Amino acid sequence: MNSHRPHSSSFRDPSGYIFIENDEVKRVINPIYFKQYEALKSSGFYDFLIKNALLVPHKEIASSEDQIVLKAERIPFITYPYEWSFNMYKEAALLTLKLQKIALEEGFSLKDATAFNVTFFKGKAIFIDTLSFDFYEENTPWRAYKQFVMHFLGPLLLAKHYGNESLGFLKQFIDGVPLHMVSKMLPFHTKFNPTVLTNIHLLAKSEAKYHEESRSEAKRATLSKKGLLNIVESLYGFIKNLKLKEASEWGDYYDKINYSGVAFDHKATVINEWIASLKPENLIDVGGNDGTFVRKLKFAPKQSLVCDVDNNAIDFNYSQIKRYKETSIIPFVLDVLQPSPAIGLNNKERQSFLDRITTFKPNVTMALALIHHMSITGNVPFSMSAEFFAQFSENLIIEFPKRNDSWVERLLKSKVDFEAHFGFYNQENFENAYLNLFNLVERVPIEDSNRIIYFLKRK
Amino acid sequence: MMYFLYFDPGLGAMIIQTIIAAVAGFILFSKNLMYKIKLFLGLAKPQEDDIFDDLDLEDKSKDQPE
Repeated sequence: MNSHRPHSSSFRDPSGYIFIENDEVKRVINPIYFKQYEALKSSGFYDFLIKNALLVPHKEIASSEDQIVLKAERIPFITYPYEWSFNMYKEAALLTLKLQKIALEEGFSLKDATAFNVTFFKGKAIFIDTLSFDFYEENTPWRAYKQFVMHFLGPLLLAKHYGNESLGFLKQFIDGVPLHMVSKMLPFHTKFNPTVLTNIHLLAKSEAKYHEESRSEAKRATLSKKGLLNIVESLYGFIKNLKLKEASEWGDYYDKINYSGVAFDHKATVINEWIASLKPENLIDVGGNDGTFVRKLKFAPKQSLVCDVDNNAIDFNYSQIKRYKETSIIPFVLDVLQPSPAIGLNNKERQSFLDRITTFKPNVTMALALIHHMSITGNVPFSMSAEFFAQFSENLIIEFPKRNDSWVERLLKSKVDFEAHFGFYNQENFENAYLNLFNLVERVPIEDSNRIIYFLKRK
Repeated sequence: MMYFLYFDPGLGAMIIQTIIAAVAGFILFSKNLMYKIKLFLGLAKPQEDDIFDDLDLEDKSKDQPE
């Protein structure tokens, strides 16, 4: 029997673990889960979920008395809950409920409901923990119910009332947002909504009440399957109809910024030429907004990542993906000045953005209309932003708005007396810093604008 | 059935589910009733353009040849 080092995120569930071997994702199943696995396999449950693109596909590649080994389809880039936009978060929650319903109908039940069991691939949410299913036992409540509320319903409700920044809470609470906190934070009037009253406020109260009592009491709790299905169905309807309070109007971003049609078209033509010469398998557009530019590419890479600090832009990107059933873009929320950290046990359970993106190895990085925000808003010296990009970018397509660009002027003005400090912000200093780490392939001033676009190759 | 759960399901959360389920049942029942009344009175709104599916899955595997 081979023993492998489990992946750093795979240690909680005794049923098995994930390991990476030759760039392939494999999953070991321990004997303790054999019965469940065989039932899930022979009943056609796994096949059904995989065919309906609800569960990451796997193949059994080895089986012995000690372990069964599966090979899972590799998802090139895993996004975490705190990187999802509001509607992405909703879809992940709905997927989890949908799986629980299907499971219940087939005599199984989700034994956990963490949001980290879901990620996005090929334009939709997909469940990635193959071993999360257990047998359903008649008249037992859903053991993962509280976890579902802490991971999904809580953050979604907080986002609805206080804005989508609340979706970042799982960065702080890897095991879900504490119920008493959600209950206290939500406005008083939410107590008049029967779904929120029961699933949040009453639940938090009940948890506080029974906190000290012995576990054996749990045997007392019974619930019919019909009751359980009612909970699942009503949560599904409630979450499906959740909407952000803040206006999430989006759509004509490129009309709002200081771009003339000529400049935009020229920029697109130049980038298209470069991309066509590179024929990248994959790329990342950092600060890529709603994905407009990636969609402008005539050569479409197999996998594109589009990240932006603006949750609304990501949400708009995501709704376009859904509407047009696009499969090659993974959108996610990212602040380059504060990229997702590594969290959890040993600081390794959930990987940092940099870890994931260096593994992903994008052939091309695009950073359009970003450097002035990093340099002026974020006070990041050119040498340090160059270092940031050089860590993961083989080819870098970066746009530099000159000092006389209206947007740069506006950002500089906002610095008031501090403006003199930004004397460094000019083309010469930019080139000096970036050409330390990259070779210049081509540099093109964008017509009808005060911007230059660079094609750089890492040294 | 795996009793050795690796996280705490919460005793309070287990017990209260009976009540939550009863309320959920009532919500579903009244929603359904309201919908039927609206339908009868011709007030039912047409489905909005929605990016999310319903809970019940349309089995896509049946469309594909094996």
